[in-house]
Amino acid sequence: MDINSIQAQIEGDLAKVVSLPALEEVRVKYLGRKGLIAELTSSIPGLPVEQRGAFGKQVNALKNKLLGLLEEKERTLKTKDSVLKKSNLDVGMPGIAQELGHLHPITQIIDEICTIFNRMGFSIVQGPEVETEYNNFTGLNIPLEHPSRDAFDTFYLKDYSKLLLRSHTSPVQVRVMKTQKPPLAIVVPGRVYRPDAVDASHLFMFHQIEGFLVDENIRFSDLKGILELFAQSVFGQDIKMRFRPHFFPFTEPSVEVDISCIMCKGKGCSVCGRKGWLEILGAGMIHPNVFTQVGIDPKIYTGFAFGMGVERMAMLKYGINDIRLFFENDLRFLRQF
Amino acid sequence: MKVTYRWLKNFVDIKISPWELADKLTMAGLEVVSLEKTGEDFVLEIEITSNRPDWLSILGIAREVAAITGRRLKLGVGCSVLGAQGKSKHQAPSTKNLIIIEDKKDCSLYTARIIRNVKVGPSPEWISKRLKLVGCRSVNNIVDITNYCLFELGQPLHAFDLDKLSQEEIRVRRATTDEKIITIDGATRLLGPEILVIADTHNPIAIAGIMGGKETEVTLKTRNILLESAVFNPVLVRRGKQKLGLQSESAYRFERGVDWEAVSNASWAAQELILKLASGKPSEFASLGAAKAIHHLINLDVAYLNKVLGTAIPVLKVKQILNRLGLQVKTKTRNILTVKAPSFRQDLKLPVDLVEEVARIYGYAQIPPTLPAVKPGRKVLDKRDVICGIKNILCGLGLDEVITYSLVDRDLLKKSGINTAAGLIEISNPLSKEQEVLRPALFPSLIRALAHNLDQQQERVSIFEIANVFSGQEKAVAEEPLLGLALSGVNSFFTKQGLARDQITLLHLKGILETLFNRLGVRGFDFSRQEDHKINIIINQKQVGFMLDLTPQILGAFDIKNRQVVLAQVNLEKLFGGINLGKKFLDIPKYPAITRDISFTINEDIPVQGLLVAIEAKGAPLLDQVKIVDYYQGKQIPVGFKGLTISCIYRLDSRTLTEEEIAPLHNDICSLLEERFGIKLRKA
Repeated sequence: MDINSIQAQIEGDLAKVVSLPALEEVRVKYLGRKGLIAELTSSIPGLPVEQRGAFGKQVNALKNKLLGLLEEKERTLKTKDSVLKKSNLDVGMPGIAQELGHLHPITQIIDEICTIFNRMGFSIVQGPEVETEYNNFTGLNIPLEHPSRDAFDTFYLKDYSKLLLRSHTSPVQVRVMKTQKPPLAIVVPGRVYRPDAVDASHLFMFHQIEGFLVDENIRFSDLKGILELFAQSVFGQDIKMRFRPHFFPFTEPSVEVDISCIMCKGKGCSVCGRKGWLEILGAGMIHPNVFTQVGIDPKIYTGFAFGMGVERMAMLKYGINDIRLFFENDLRFLRQF
Repeated sequence: MKVTYRWLKNFVDIKISPWELADKLTMAGLEVVSLEKTGEDFVLEIEITSNRPDWLSILGIAREVAAITGRRLKLGVGCSVLGAQGKSKHQAPSTKNLIIIEDKKDCSLYTARIIRNVKVGPSPEWISKRLKLVGCRSVNNIVDITNYCLFELGQPLHAFDLDKLSQEEIRVRRATTDEKIITIDGATRLLGPEILVIADTHNPIAIAGIMGGKETEVTLKTRNILLESAVFNPVLVRRGKQKLGLQSESAYRFERGVDWEAVSNASWAAQELILKLASGKPSEFASLGAAKAIHHLINLDVAYLNKVLGTAIPVLKVKQILNRLGLQVKTKTRNILTVKAPSFRQDLKLPVDLVEEVARIYGYAQIPPTLPAVKPGRKVLDKRDVICGIKNILCGLGLDEVITYSLVDRDLLKKSGINTAAGLIEISNPLSKEQEVLRPALFPSLIRALAHNLDQQQERVSIFEIANVFSGQEKAVAEEPLLGLALSGVNSFFTKQGLARDQITLLHLKGILETLFNRLGVRGFDFSRQEDHKINIIINQKQVGFMLDLTPQILGAFDIKNRQVVLAQVNLEKLFGGINLGKKFLDIPKYPAITRDISFTINEDIPVQGLLVAIEAKGAPLLDQVKIVDYYQGKQIPVGFKGLTISCIYRLDSRTLTEEEIAPLHNDICSLLEERFGIKLRKA
């Protein structure tokens, strides 16, 4: 059989093909291990030496031609609807994937808040939960026997005098300022402890985020600017804010910061106690006595500090009405976040 | 503290509504937490911060109202006790020997008035009504007058029935050990040397500054009274009330500090009211101690004030604000003011205290927000970043993060098999059993959280926590971060063939840890069985944690039925030592590998680890990798055996291996398995 007639035969066979399996049959017939092309190739050694080269080239050309034709045919067959196998996939069936776990909502809020301050240039520092009485109180200008301590009921450790469970994250201020020189821009997330009777809004363990900025020329107006930026980042650009004078022993002037109620937009509802405002954090200019305690010259440096309850932020943001839910660790709760 | 709108109006002309007033007070630092209309009047409840005892009176709040509304404080008229000041005709002779103060440090000033022939009876309505509005019960006219003065002026007063005293003598002294008193609330109080009392010649008749005694209280039968107005040491009063667990309006004010200049004023005002409402005749007056109050002098640099606040408030405005607050201001130089604080403002000591006062009245809202230049810190990466990474990896592996309490009860530890006899850090003032000790391990809390969720019919619980645990050292407390994981139940997931259900075992836990360690670049980690239920986690030959398959005893203690629970605890500080986040690129293999699988059954007592190590040794250097690709236990495998498929991957970096080259080597490996491990190869 000469090459030309084989080519004609191939073209004839391909023209009859209407399905992919039929195409495969044609492929095997010509290109298979015992196909025509293989037969032609194996006949080469039997030819006179002077014919071998030319014949080999012809066979090769035929093979390439055939491959091209097969490919083209396959393409046409595949794009023809009639040949496509009808998909029986019901997309209403559940998708198949590995399920993700969930970060605790408290972790998520801490990460979110730390990221905001990180972006502003603050570093994140953590401190121990077992603290000295000095770092928790005296170093922060809280006299040991004064009613200003009533706000900081504290767990003490038996057998370890002067050691306690920190009742706020502020002792980290003392630790950092004693060991590092300004400028300082720090945020401190962590667990704190207070012997409070447990109810829907009080627990004996909760989380705080503390932050402070110390440098020459830090002003009260900077405190307002940073905290406004922060609150807008967490609760949205439209939030209104107010800064109320307050008292904390370790700051002066001191301030409590309210945002317009995120539920009622300031009209007054049960969440904000009809006030239209929600308290979110306490802050103030670091008291000169605190600077003196840690060996920073208050004549050169000023700074502000702020602190907030993480659970409270999470409750406001997610609309959670009972603080105990955070530590019950019910998966029906945790998997919502 | 509660005040009423009308009562305030006795002292200052208020031209704004109660609601507007409440808002202005709140924005000046006196947070009005509730405002209620009661009859003709309005009651404002104000949260008073502990630095401002001067706000614990109608007069004090009125001073503030005057300052923030720009009105003058007027002396009271109408119902105010100060209304009659200066018009009195009643002067009592003073007497010297009535009062004995044992230690002036305990009581710096004590005054006593004796009024005889009073008529005790009910109070007029205007007194009882106002007392009721501010939350005070009406008793009789004498007691009510002392309370009325307390609320209006902030100075606690006490009236004794003079005839019940053993002698006409007042001793201010410490109680003796085991001394007792029955207080007016009817309770018997055990006293002691740390408690200051008012006594007659023999017995305590009041706990100084805290509460009067039942024996000497003013009753309807009382004829003659002794009226006390004094200054007691704030720390003593505070210790006393804490020790006795006793709170009172008096103690609340004394521990914060009263105004020394108000002492005689209040006493005098109360006497005037008593004479008016209960008749009687002033008989003696005695006063012992220094009546001189301290007036702090503070130099305020207005440039400093504006620097701290970020404002440009003119000197004149600063002066005006301070004046309105009742401070005396003198101009020292152009920018520096000398300010004299009145006796009721003992909280004002430093220039920054005045900065706050000015800012408060000027209005925080008037201070423009600015953004400071924040200079970045030196730290680039810290452990918190790694911990965040670990949490995210675990979430990616399907685990849910929990947060449990660091304080636990001993029972929880005992149930978990932890020795609670020694080394635990106890809390000295827990409110409940759940706050007994600081936990020395994470896993007990995790078992509890897991059990809770199994109770809620959760099919699968896989949780983790990262938190500190605590252990007692010599004189210090060691605090270490741990990672805890706990798994139980069935992993169910869809495959193309339908739902696959996979019982969670220790191998799932191991897989999670391996993935985590690999992701963190930990090299040289290993797992070795220590006990039947416990497997050590080893990094670089050091134990960093363990895995537990909970024993039936522990499962039983937590009421977990028909479930396998596995958990792990890893010391993060030790893990951090093995973390290697640096990456190094290795060439992608240029030459193909040849893979040969071997399937066989093996006695389940033979650990596969040894098998793999032996194959690796035998196969080097052509054998690139050997790994288990399948295992099976069940129907087709005899009891006591497991079915394994091992993949041997042969590869060289320098050239392509041929079938012929590896065939004898692979045969050697098969013989090794048969000869050394007694394995029968399954013909593939």
